[in-house]
Amino acid sequence: MSAARVPATVAAPVAVPPPAAGPTAARTRPPRGTLRRAVRLLDVDPRRVALAVLLGTLALGSAVALAAASAWLIARASQMPPVLQLSVATVAVRAFGIGRGLMRYLERLVSHDVALRGMATLRTTLYDRLAAGSPQALLAVRRGDLLARVGADVDAVGDVVVRGLLPAAVAAALGVGTSVAMALFWPPAGLALALCLLAAGVLAPWLSARGARTAEERGVAARARMSATSLGVLDDAGPLAVSGRLPHELDALRAADADLARAADAGARPAALAAGIGQLAVGVAVLVALVTGVPAVGAGLLAPVELAVVVLTPLAAFEATSLLPAAAVQVQRSRAAAARILALLDAAAGSDERPAAARAVAPEPGDVPAPPPTGDPSGPTLVARGLACGWPGRPPAVTDVDLRLAPGSRLAVAGPSGEGKTTLLLTLAGLLAPVAGTVTLDGVPLGTADRATVVRSVVVTGEDAHVFGTSVLENLRVARGDVTPEEARSALARTGLGAWLEGLPDGLDTVLGSDARTVSGGERRRLLLARALLSDAPLLLVDEPGEHLDPTTADAVLDALWHAPATRDGTPRGLVVVSHRLTSLATADEVLWVTGGQVAARGTHAHLVDHVPGYGEAVRAEEREQT
Amino acid sequence: MKPLDPRLLRYARAARGYLALTVALGVVTGALVVAQALLLAHALGSAVADGATLPRVLPLVGGLAGVVAVRALVAGVQERYAHRAATRAVAELRERVVAHAAAVGPRRAAPADGASLVTLATRGLDALEPYFVKYLPQLVLAATLTPATLLVVLGLDWVSAAIIAGTIPLVPVFMWLVGVMTQGRSERGLATMQRLGAQVLDLLAGLTTLRAFGRERGPVARVRDLGDAHRRATMGTLRVAFLSGMVLELLTTLCVALVAVAIGMRLVYGQMDLVTGLAVLVLAPEVFNPLRQVGAQFHASTDGVAAADRAFAVLEVPLPAAGTALAPDLATGRVRARGVAVRARDGWAPAPVDVELVPGRVVALVGPSGAGKTTTVEVLLGLLPPDAGRVELVAADGTATPLADVDPHDYWRQVTWLPQRPVLEPGTVREVLGSPDAAARDRAAALTGLDAVVTTLPHGWDTPLGGGGAGLSVGQRQRLALTRALLRPSPVVVLDEPTAHLDAVGEQVVLRTLDALRDAGCAVLLVAHRASLAARADEVVHVRSARTGPADDGPASIDAVAESDPRGAVR
Repeated sequence: MSAARVPATVAAPVAVPPPAAGPTAARTRPPRGTLRRAVRLLDVDPRRVALAVLLGTLALGSAVALAAASAWLIARASQMPPVLQLSVATVAVRAFGIGRGLMRYLERLVSHDVALRGMATLRTTLYDRLAAGSPQALLAVRRGDLLARVGADVDAVGDVVVRGLLPAAVAAALGVGTSVAMALFWPPAGLALALCLLAAGVLAPWLSARGARTAEERGVAARARMSATSLGVLDDAGPLAVSGRLPHELDALRAADADLARAADAGARPAALAAGIGQLAVGVAVLVALVTGVPAVGAGLLAPVELAVVVLTPLAAFEATSLLPAAAVQVQRSRAAAARILALLDAAAGSDERPAAARAVAPEPGDVPAPPPTGDPSGPTLVARGLACGWPGRPPAVTDVDLRLAPGSRLAVAGPSGEGKTTLLLTLAGLLAPVAGTVTLDGVPLGTADRATVVRSVVVTGEDAHVFGTSVLENLRVARGDVTPEEARSALARTGLGAWLEGLPDGLDTVLGSDARTVSGGERRRLLLARALLSDAPLLLVDEPGEHLDPTTADAVLDALWHAPATRDGTPRGLVVVSHRLTSLATADEVLWVTGGQVAARGTHAHLVDHVPGYGEAVRAEEREQT
Repeated sequence: MKPLDPRLLRYARAARGYLALTVALGVVTGALVVAQALLLAHALGSAVADGATLPRVLPLVGGLAGVVAVRALVAGVQERYAHRAATRAVAELRERVVAHAAAVGPRRAAPADGASLVTLATRGLDALEPYFVKYLPQLVLAATLTPATLLVVLGLDWVSAAIIAGTIPLVPVFMWLVGVMTQGRSERGLATMQRLGAQVLDLLAGLTTLRAFGRERGPVARVRDLGDAHRRATMGTLRVAFLSGMVLELLTTLCVALVAVAIGMRLVYGQMDLVTGLAVLVLAPEVFNPLRQVGAQFHASTDGVAAADRAFAVLEVPLPAAGTALAPDLATGRVRARGVAVRARDGWAPAPVDVELVPGRVVALVGPSGAGKTTTVEVLLGLLPPDAGRVELVAADGTATPLADVDPHDYWRQVTWLPQRPVLEPGTVREVLGSPDAAARDRAAALTGLDAVVTTLPHGWDTPLGGGGAGLSVGQRQRLALTRALLRPSPVVVLDEPTAHLDAVGEQVVLRTLDALRDAGCAVLLVAHRASLAARADEVVHVRSARTGPADDGPASIDAVAESDPRGAVR
């Protein structure tokens, strides 16, 4: 009995309950209908599914028929009839022998095709809805480690088709077919077979799934501790060894693993029961057929040859149900994955504060360079009033911010780390809803403005902006689809990456690793900055452009940013730059000094140096360091 | 990849007992299968051929019921202990890997193929469960049940045995042929699949960025195309991969069918009795069953086996021999490194460098990132043996002991190390600080700025912190760690980039702490990025990397910075 095995690389990682993860991870049992909703998202073609079920039933049906036909053949042959009377049976036996392997091969191809089509659809839907949905949901995902699991989760939902639902459908079809056929020969045997099939196909899988769930639920905390301790020891092996705490941490790992083993033990009990029931069901079906069949033969109710068929067929009839305990565990696992994916989709769809109409009419900007919004000849103006921003469900990180950003203005936001400066930028860009106060673009609140209009005017480059696993040029074209190689080169030169570009093996066509593993922190920052400068949006919000750079380079990059060229249609740039390096803020029109969750002081750099003690001290410390 | 790696039994004790149990149960299963087939054949044969009544076959039926009950019991026991052994064996391997990696240094123990050690130790090894629960029992059955049933068939009817014995060798031969024919294709397909899958995830990961530029709608079509390409590539691979499964099924089922037909023909001509025929018919599929199961469970176990292979590779990295000599008292002695260099990926980092840690002096290591500053620290702490040069502990009377000969624990007792991310044990703030007296604590906390941090904590000094100081920011953790270093000054203190997570104001804290440690007579080693920090050192050592080795290169020079008034710069 070969299970519906997918090569390991196609399948989701086996047997690994998800580690404790981000805040939205579903820890409680998923609600009813979760899997149904997720499977509906796969949008599988019912005709293909029906074909797969048919082929699967024919494949395993061949095995049952082979057993029945062989039994008949041998029992009949023992009565020494003319050989010709056996010819049909001998041909059938050989045909069933071949049919099984062949049908099984075709069934696997069809079912995997169905699953892969479903996964592709689900991935597209997921991307589509996340792209169209609430920006806030997406930011939350990016911050957690959920995204890393999305790929595996989609695979797990797709797997439920091949490994969960199809085997169940095949087992049901085959179980009914075999039981009815046996009942036609001898009703008590058919009835016993049906009951035993139910025990093996319903009770045993239910127990198996319960065992898997028990092990997972009881082990969640221990598994999280085990992961955290392993990570801690491997990350900090040196410091732990030097401080003499390594043995202690290894003890903690051993304790977590012991708890995990206890959880596995608790889950193994129902699983063992399931295995026993599965084995027992076969035997009982055979025994009942034998015990009821032998007197029936004596009473003339059953032909002796039929007795052989009725007794021996059950031996082959349980192949389909024997796959179901594993299928039930797969369904269990897929349901958890489905819950996470649906939570993601719900978050994207649900918490969007904008009216549905604004979303629905959002046109696709595509690759066409869009003109700046008309109406204000001098370009768009972004105004924040009494703004408080923060992550939903947490106290606001910054409150009471007022600012006005128009083309040509240069604002800086400075202050100690952890003061919510990044949150402020995301809110100004409309990616995060304000906790209080308003952000308006040309008088329209960002929340109600058409997203396409907003991004034509305001563009944010966050600290964790993504570098795609594609060429340098394509990475820059994220800002604008029609960036020419010349434009790309000059933008890179402007951010001090000219020499870096020279050193790349294929120049602009060099493929960068996903999430820029082949790019250093400083190079990445400057690449992101070059991307921002290529955008057509006049208002740029830039987070820490000097991070990971030595002081001289950081100042040069900031200087290049302050003197950023106008957009292609001649609108001068308006800038908000978040920086923890203060020396280079002298060029800014105004610096907002954020400490204690508020704008503690604002004014020109010179003014702040003279009048704000904290600011002055920080600037002097920075200057000392450079001397 | 071996089906059963002896190293698995060597490293995971739980696997040994489990294997013994599985073999025992496998032998029992073999006996039960044979018994069941013979009992069933006799009962059914006598009923069909001789019209035996129920009372006559009842003893046989009773025996059959017993066999059925024991088989169910065996299946349950196997499953019960499979899960148990799997978790314990995985736990054992995990502990060994983590402990061994920690002992040799995670950097040197990291798998050669770039896989993460943490992923290997956690999720990677967890994938061994299907190997233990599903694959191993079938492998054992293939070695017990298959030969046992085949022998019984031989005893009953040599023709059927010959047909089966002729088919069994074809199974591996055909599987091998299919494998050879499809290997190149599968590997290409797998590479394509992985690349396409990664591209979709890359687009998802960058969705926020695409949104920021209003470009999120464009790639929808690309995601769909990638999905289609992924499906085509996968199906191409599966079409050939499933061939081996089909060959296996075709051979085994067809063989059973041939056995049945051959029995039927001989029965017709009276060359065989029905009971024997039935027994062979029931036994024939059982010969192949374990073989088919091994094939079916093979894929489920490959991830785990690959992880185990990596784990063994980690465990086989030799452990450096630890010294046994007692370390001299470093409150009066010194740590001396001469011409220390370590091989890096493309050259040396650091290139030969001299460092000497002397009580009451602050030495700063400076240099660009990647030059080997942290590596130098690891060499000085005895965590990493240098590839060139030597490190010695010099007692007050001038006797020098090579660091490699010193018992590391005895040395580490005299060392406080503040890495970039300080590691703190769980407990309250007070406990983490070692429950000092309030006056000394307040003095130290005022110096490091921990007092300001404590006022923001819900329970002040008694606020419980998780492992690693969870609940505190990295900067706050650094202040806590600095305070602890001040309260219990060790003879040697190593500060690795202590200002990395502090702003210019917070940096003052570190400078004040540095002065206090110097005044306490500590030998301080400072890894410094910022010039303001290096300026406060008594001695600055430039660490650099080099392409050429120490053989063609002299030791790095020591730039002794003119001693400045250590307190002058603050005011």
